[in-house]
Amino acid sequence: MKKISTSNKTLIYVGIIAVIVIAAGAYWLMQPAEEPDTTPEPEPEPEPTEPIAYRSTWAWPNRIDPAVGSDGSSTATHPNLYNSLVRITPEGVVGPELAESWTVSEDGMTYTFTLREGVMSHAGNEITAEDVVFSMDRLLTMGEGLAYLFLPYIGETTAVDTYTVQFDLLKSFGPILTVMPNFYVLDKAVVMENIAEGEYDDLGDYGKEWLMTHDAGTGPYMVREFLLEEKLIMDKFEDYWGETLAVEGFMFVENAPDVMEMIGTTEPITVRTMMSRGELERTDSWQPIESLEEMVQTEGVEMIGEVGTSLLNLMIHTNKAPTDDIHFRKAMAYAFDYETAVTDIFPHTTMVKGVVNEVLPGYNPDLEPFRKNLTRAMEELEQSAYYDQLEEIEIEIHWCAEVPAEERISLLFMDNMADLGVSVKIVKEPWLSMIETMADQDLSPNVVIVYNSVHFPEAGGDLMRYHSESAPTWEQNEWLLDETLDEMIEDALGTVDQAERFQKYGEIQQYIYDVCPTIYVLQTTTLRCIQDYVDYPYVVYGEQVSGIVYKVPLGFRTYYGLYTGVNQP
Amino acid sequence: MNIKKYVAYRLLSSFFVLFGLSLLIFSLSRLVPGDPARLALGPMAPQWAVDKLRAQLHLDEPIYIQYIYWVTNVFRGNLGQSLVTRRGVFSDIVEFFPATFELVIFSVILSTSLAILLGVTSGKYANSLWDNIVRITSYVGIAIPSFVWAIMSVFIFGYLLRWFPTLGRLSSGALMPPKVTGLLLIDSLIAGKLDVFRDAFYHMILPGTSLVISRLAQEARITRASVVENLHKDYIMAARSFGIPERTITLKYLLKPSLIPTVAVMGMDIAGSMGGSFIVETIFNWPGLGRYGMSAMLSNDINAIVGVVMLIGVFFAFMNILVDLITAYLDPRIMMKLRSG
Repeated sequence: MKKISTSNKTLIYVGIIAVIVIAAGAYWLMQPAEEPDTTPEPEPEPEPTEPIAYRSTWAWPNRIDPAVGSDGSSTATHPNLYNSLVRITPEGVVGPELAESWTVSEDGMTYTFTLREGVMSHAGNEITAEDVVFSMDRLLTMGEGLAYLFLPYIGETTAVDTYTVQFDLLKSFGPILTVMPNFYVLDKAVVMENIAEGEYDDLGDYGKEWLMTHDAGTGPYMVREFLLEEKLIMDKFEDYWGETLAVEGFMFVENAPDVMEMIGTTEPITVRTMMSRGELERTDSWQPIESLEEMVQTEGVEMIGEVGTSLLNLMIHTNKAPTDDIHFRKAMAYAFDYETAVTDIFPHTTMVKGVVNEVLPGYNPDLEPFRKNLTRAMEELEQSAYYDQLEEIEIEIHWCAEVPAEERISLLFMDNMADLGVSVKIVKEPWLSMIETMADQDLSPNVVIVYNSVHFPEAGGDLMRYHSESAPTWEQNEWLLDETLDEMIEDALGTVDQAERFQKYGEIQQYIYDVCPTIYVLQTTTLRCIQDYVDYPYVVYGEQVSGIVYKVPLGFRTYYGLYTGVNQP
Repeated sequence: MNIKKYVAYRLLSSFFVLFGLSLLIFSLSRLVPGDPARLALGPMAPQWAVDKLRAQLHLDEPIYIQYIYWVTNVFRGNLGQSLVTRRGVFSDIVEFFPATFELVIFSVILSTSLAILLGVTSGKYANSLWDNIVRITSYVGIAIPSFVWAIMSVFIFGYLLRWFPTLGRLSSGALMPPKVTGLLLIDSLIAGKLDVFRDAFYHMILPGTSLVISRLAQEARITRASVVENLHKDYIMAARSFGIPERTITLKYLLKPSLIPTVAVMGMDIAGSMGGSFIVETIFNWPGLGRYGMSAMLSNDINAIVGVVMLIGVFFAFMNILVDLITAYLDPRIMMKLRSG
């Protein structure tokens, strides 16, 4: 070891000084922001009330323009910034919102809505029929976001008078009122003040760029600041029409948040840290179960789950060997171990009892669900045209690289198929590549694992994915291309009478069940952690199913201040 | 060749490098599977809307035509429209760059000062206890990538010890100072808001140090090796034999030549940290270019991907030139060669 000479200790001194400076800096940082004031105060001022904040994490990006966004964070934001003509009530039925009442013509082709008077926007303008016409025209002209729900059906929108608006349909669409809550009304004057140059002639960009970071709404909250790639901050709108007009169901609940922060991260370690430090009221729905279970260990944090309407499906290609054989498909469906999938791989989820989620109106409960039964599987396999070629057969299953748990489903599937003597090739594929693959009938693999969401809360909102128009999209790897089925779906969706429509949904489910194009793995449950001082809306209005899992009203949307109270400690 | 000519030559060669990079990244972004227009509008968007957006992005044209459009627009200061934010990529870069730049500056100051200090002291006292401590910590630092440091620091200093914030640039509820430079530390000082300055600095510590550790360890090792090598050179021995104080030898004769390899590595490290911040920014929800680039890649936002990669390329080219100039300043042989021409 060399001896450190005295003359060369300067650098060490510099190092020591640097450490002291850093330590002093760190000490300074750890100190409270304000030094206590020692001078006596003449009169103690009343302390301002700390604003009630509700902070939650979300998958980003958040497209707050209601004519653009259609993903989870966007659709959770829209009802807080904007209002629709009608809404789904906590009881799960269609109820009034901006429209006080509505009528439907006998042929179901004309819907007339009477607007509430005195509804003021965040900018202080009264909302009239002209704003509704403008908003619908904007949605249909842009064709983005959830416009696809209206484009095939809405023909003309007319302002009959200041408070009456009429929609003339191009063709009958039974669930139109169920879909209507996805149409939001914008303050036309505000949008027009903020149009930039764009592709819509006189209307410029239709206010698109401005509305990505601002709002032109009437909702209970208004945008304070949108820090792209970081968070959206919304303030309570004190002059919200629900309050000023004293409309029951639209007034702020006690301890409604003054400030809403939607934070754009789903990073487990970050979310877990914020939750443990009390910097977050609610987590996003993308946290792994291990992380949620860890968070629950923190005092005051609890886990909740809500029964969703989505399904996790194994979509089977019905036009590709060997899965083009119905007996082969049924053998696969009987060989799959549903129990393991819902208990070990995706805890808190439930098994599917038919073709669509059992919570959806129009669900057919008379279908015997597929469950693991190797005897029946072998019986079906023996009837298959491929029974004597099993050694040469290899089924390809693709799973989405961004969802690691799907690999376990693939492995389970491979293991189950081995019981039948069928070999399986597992392919991990990035989502973008998967979309490309599924757009081509020849490239599409035998089986793909995909989550399917419903387009509107009825059985038809799920069944419509079996229409041939969806075949070249990721929504349908089954490639049914069945004209009879297409006609059945179109007929059901065009039926205005609800009971008749639901009966037709039931028949479609039977038709699909008989063809066995899909292995329905499970019904999803969205798991989250919340602080126990939050009155979570689904818990308030939901019906508890089992343990931590709650059933929520279908089509229920997150109106923060109206349904969420934050009793901050 | 004098220095001006040398700089001009380097700028010209950088232009060709950037041209090559633009060809490569532009082609790659267009060859990635998935129709960007369909992805932006969703699976259920009507075909006419998708076709319209494709036409707007020129995706319906051959790739070389698309490139010509892109290059023409770049010279007009237009990098195209982002499919995620629906705004101009240039505006997005202007908005997100300061956050990353501030983080990089912070990490550069930290890594430069510490790397030189650790490298020189461990080199001077090679094989001492101090040198061994620095060596072992450096190996650990080099072996572990920055995103692991980020996760570990969030866990230790955020979750367990709760010393530092782990999210964003400012605390929840804190008001942003008026935007002047976009650098919060500077803007808060301009606005005279010391509490915001402190909050911003406080937020920068974990992401900044996570970016620094691997780089710092490597630079310290290189400095140390260089110091050890120069320590036994004839001119140092001669200086010692003349009785020049050891402190003067270290600071005046040893430090300058020993920093030449360090500066070269440092330059590339700084430029690399622009790109290397992608995951660190995502973990800390830092609203910078890295996070923007990350979400662009996940959403196949082609114009944003090209814009971000090109900016990093420009930064690399600039740092390369800067490093060469600093090296020339540190090494008289290079300077003489340049002057003699």
